[in-house]
Amino acid sequence: MKVTINKQNEKTLVTLEGRIDTTNADQFQQDIAPLMEDERPNIDIDCSGMTYTSSQGLRVFLLLQKSVVARNGKMVLHNMNPRVKEVFDITGFSNIITII
Amino acid sequence: MKLDVHCEMLLSEYHEKLPIYEKMKTVVLDLLRNCLDKNNILVSGLEARVKAEQSLAGKLELKGFKYHTLEDITDVLGARIITYYSDEVDIISALVEKMFEIDWANSVDKRKMLEIDRFGYLSLHYVCRIPETLYKDPELPQLNQIRFELQMRSTLQHVWANMYHDIGYKSNVEIPIEYQRNMTRLAGMLELADEQFCRIRKEIMGYRRTVQSMVATGKLDEVPLNGDTFRSFLELKPFKNLADKIAAINHGEVYEDNLMPYYRILLNMNMKTIGDIVKMSKTYSESAYQLALLQLAGTGLDIVTYSVALQNLCIVAILKKGYGEAGLVSFFNALYGENDYHQQRAKRICEQARKINLI
Repeated sequence: MKVTINKQNEKTLVTLEGRIDTTNADQFQQDIAPLMEDERPNIDIDCSGMTYTSSQGLRVFLLLQKSVVARNGKMVLHNMNPRVKEVFDITGFSNIITII
Repeated sequence: MKLDVHCEMLLSEYHEKLPIYEKMKTVVLDLLRNCLDKNNILVSGLEARVKAEQSLAGKLELKGFKYHTLEDITDVLGARIITYYSDEVDIISALVEKMFEIDWANSVDKRKMLEIDRFGYLSLHYVCRIPETLYKDPELPQLNQIRFELQMRSTLQHVWANMYHDIGYKSNVEIPIEYQRNMTRLAGMLELADEQFCRIRKEIMGYRRTVQSMVATGKLDEVPLNGDTFRSFLELKPFKNLADKIAAINHGEVYEDNLMPYYRILLNMNMKTIGDIVKMSKTYSESAYQLALLQLAGTGLDIVTYSVALQNLCIVAILKKGYGEAGLVSFFNALYGENDYHQQRAKRICEQARKINLI
């Protein structure tokens, strides 16, 4: 799992690559910790390189989403491959996280 | 402007104490804001100002002889709470009475001062002190000694007062009686409007209570589906059993999310009453579970949202009613906004539905 974070003016661009599962979900959480600091964050996550997420990964996305909402920010996930998107759909996570 | 020696002394005292008044302004605003928040009272405005030098000098020129010291002038610091409804003035004044020390001799309820056949300025003015029990700064004991004026009035009363002030006071020419009469007529009209707003709000609250009680007592076929009734219905956790059952597929947990976005969707699905939603839930609950079982079994996904239950119920209802792939695409578009991906998702769900003989 590789996380790349780039700040561009008001926007934070994040790129995710690989799988998120039980073995690396903690690391994923640590990697995205800087995203939980800014006021009114505007986070754009490119998921084109993400090949899978387990429920541990979903929990980290949920944590991040709650943190963003609490700071009056917004977060969008995009370019998600259909297999990963299905995980968000069948668990109902598509209802709480913006995926375009 | 020519002031006598006594008034010049009061003005110099004002300059000396200006920082104390400014500090006091911050403290009073914070105390009032906290009190309103704590009591869940939304107001249209909360403001405070320290009287400007020119305004004070004008007051001293007219009646400076009345004041021995600056502290005799009770409105050097003035605060104002502007409520949405006129009946909230009394609620707030009761809180203010508990919070501050009220100088009753100098406080005035202008709402009660008008004769029954007169209309005009309606506002409640309290002259207050900050008690030490509420706020204390050992370096500024004056904060608990100096009085300030707190005005409380409704938005419409505030509008009238501002317009009257602008037209009446700022003009150098005496206002002809017909214009004054027009202002008074407006005051009467706004007083009536204030009363109507209070009445309408009470009626709406009464309606909400009635609907909530109908939802709670199960008379759901009589409860029209609208934003309020749907919210009340959701408080009963109507989809909890199904959500728990879906989560149990992988011995998982349910994350409680907000189902209000489904309100418009259910209206689009021709649901007219809360009873219609209950019927959908009873009719399609097992199929919605079967669909979830097919999708989740063996995935190890041990967290689902509460909304997944209603999501699957809607999907099954759409398919059972024969709307097919196109119906699902419309459903997803309405829920998440238009996206090409919804076509793929609808197609996949239809394939899954065939496997479990849903369609």
